[in-house]
Amino acid sequence: MGLNRNVSLMTALRYKGQGPFLTYILHRIGGLGMAVFISIHLLASFLGGSGGRFVNNIYENWVFQIFIFFCILFHAINGLRITILDLFPKLILYHRQAIMIEWVAFIAVYGFSVFAIIRTALGG
Amino acid sequence: MELTVKILRYDPEKDTRGHYETYVVEGDENDRVLDVLEHIKGKTDGSLAFRRSCAHGVCGSDAMRINGRNHLACKTLVRDVGANITVEPMLGLKVKKDLIVDMDPFFDNYKKMLPYLINDSPLPADGRERLQSPEDRARFDESTKCILCAACTTSCPSYWANGNYYGPAAIVTAHRFIFDSRDEGASQRLQILSETDGTVRCHTAYNCTEACPRDIKITKAIGEVKLAMVTGKLD
Repeated sequence: MGLNRNVSLMTALRYKGQGPFLTYILHRIGGLGMAVFISIHLLASFLGGSGGRFVNNIYENWVFQIFIFFCILFHAINGLRITILDLFPKLILYHRQAIMIEWVAFIAVYGFSVFAIIRTALGG
Repeated sequence: MELTVKILRYDPEKDTRGHYETYVVEGDENDRVLDVLEHIKGKTDGSLAFRRSCAHGVCGSDAMRINGRNHLACKTLVRDVGANITVEPMLGLKVKKDLIVDMDPFFDNYKKMLPYLINDSPLPADGRERLQSPEDRARFDESTKCILCAACTTSCPSYWANGNYYGPAAIVTAHRFIFDSRDEGASQRLQILSETDGTVRCHTAYNCTEACPRDIKITKAIGEVKLAMVTGKLD
């Protein structure tokens, strides 16, 4: 007898990993967000007509665009870091510095992009 | 100082699920969490179950989650975790009682790595040791430090999701032999690790590296094994 080994999503998210664990979680959220975006996009294409336009309006909404751009950009930059460290394991010793560089690059590009999206959305 | 210790309890003879019990005890900021648990077991509640052996960070038997993160209770001071302490069993392994988990699956994965020297070549002419240069020894020095406490494996989200994954500790063990210049079993171990439950399941969350009480750069070791699998080179 004994408690089973299953770890629920909430228990997993409560584990106090450090900065790298946060990037791991955000990477998964990014991937999931992109899958949702592509699914909605395909659905809109298949539906066509008023149904298609309705779905189109969801993912063309500027709030959704801010979310999906977060998913794409974070997934891309984090994926690039993982790839570089996978190819050059000696650099893994500097993974914390690599994550800091990743955040600086992400915040700069994402911040500017969000600013541009909001300005376009509100400016018409 | 007064310590409030919340412990996830589970008695297989009475409980169907775990529940928290809180103990208020006197302690010192220089006490180790293991001392606090011993105090509770000795003075307050003798039914509390946890593993401990050397109590000096060598045997690795008292790994557990302390304030949400894997630590060895004997190497964690109260001053480092504060007066409110939450203690839970490690994740991803079946809980047998309170803080004791079933380590069998963990050691099964360890054994799959062929954790012994493989060398069928004849002994050197003098019939004594197979010599090794300091540089060759340094190549796998980090991975010899593993005490098999399971803090790394049970902090790994890939292992939480799939218990068949060999896990960081097993891969560190493999690393210890793969990069040993005296060993001739590297190709066998790399073959084992190239299976679906091998290194491919490492998604570099770095929880293992952060959890290791011996400060082994586990993700780096796994990265070196991954590269050796791709390139076939052990340099």
